[in-house]
Amino acid sequence: MKKERIELNVPSDVFYLESVRVFIGKLSETLRFSKKRIADIQLALDEICTNAVYHGSSCASSGIQLQISVDTSSLEIVVSDKGREGIQDWSTSEKLAEIQANRSPTSERGHGLYLIDCLTDVHKLQTNAVGGTDVTAIFYRDVQQENG
Amino acid sequence: MTGTEFMNIRENQDIKIIDVKADLSSYAASDLRKVLEELLTEKVNKVVVNFEDVGHINSTAVGTLVGIAKRLRQNGGDLKLCNLTSTLTRTFNLIGASSVVEIYESEKSAIAAF
Repeated sequence: MKKERIELNVPSDVFYLESVRVFIGKLSETLRFSKKRIADIQLALDEICTNAVYHGSSCASSGIQLQISVDTSSLEIVVSDKGREGIQDWSTSEKLAEIQANRSPTSERGHGLYLIDCLTDVHKLQTNAVGGTDVTAIFYRDVQQENG
Repeated sequence: MTGTEFMNIRENQDIKIIDVKADLSSYAASDLRKVLEELLTEKVNKVVVNFEDVGHINSTAVGTLVGIAKRLRQNGGDLKLCNLTSTLTRTFNLIGASSVVEIYESEKSAIAAF
C-alpha cells in the first residue's frame, strides 16, 4: 500500500471537533486498529485539535488543517494552525517543558500535551512557515495485534 | 434548572444527579462546566455525574470536574462520578484525576458514599 493522504480544513471552533473525532474513529476502524487503540487515537486528536483551537488560532475563520497519511505501517496525522499574535511560542521546547513540569493531577488545565505523549507512538511539535504550530502524531499499525 | 442540550438533572434528596447525554469533547465540556457552575451558584454541594451514555472524555472535561470537585469540597460537599466505561476510567487514571475525583461503579454506590 502506497502512502495515501486525506486533508481536512476545519473552522477553528470546538463545535466542529466532535465531527473530526468521529471521522478519525471511523478511519481507524477501517484500518483495523483495536477498539482500545481507536479510543487512544480519538483522544489524542481531540487534545491536539483543542490545543490548536484554543492556543493556535485567532478566530474561527483562520481554521485548522489536518493532513492524514496512511500506509501499511502507520497512521500519521499532522494538525496545523496559523498561530495567534502574542502566544506563538506556546509550542517551544522551553514552554512545553514548563507545562509538563507544572502538570499536576489536581490542576484543571495542562493535561493535553501529557495525554498526547502517552497516547501516540511518536509525536512532535514544530513552528510552521506562517508562525503557527504543526503537531504530528504517528500511530503504528500492527495488524497482528489489532484484534480487539 | 432541569438540564441543557447535553445534560439532564435529577434530584435524590439533597443530591443533584447529572446525566451526561453526549461524549465530552471540548464543546460539550463547556456545557458541563456551565451546569456545574450554576449548581454551585445555587449552593448545591452534593453532585453525582452519571456517565452511562458517555463514550469519550477529553482533558478539558476532566479538568472541569477536578476543579468543581475541589470547590464543592471547600463548601463541605463533594462530586462523585459513576458508570464510567474502562476507556473513560483509563483517561482519568492517565491524568491522575482518579486520585482527586471519586469514581463509583453505579449511581447507587455513588449516592451511598455521601
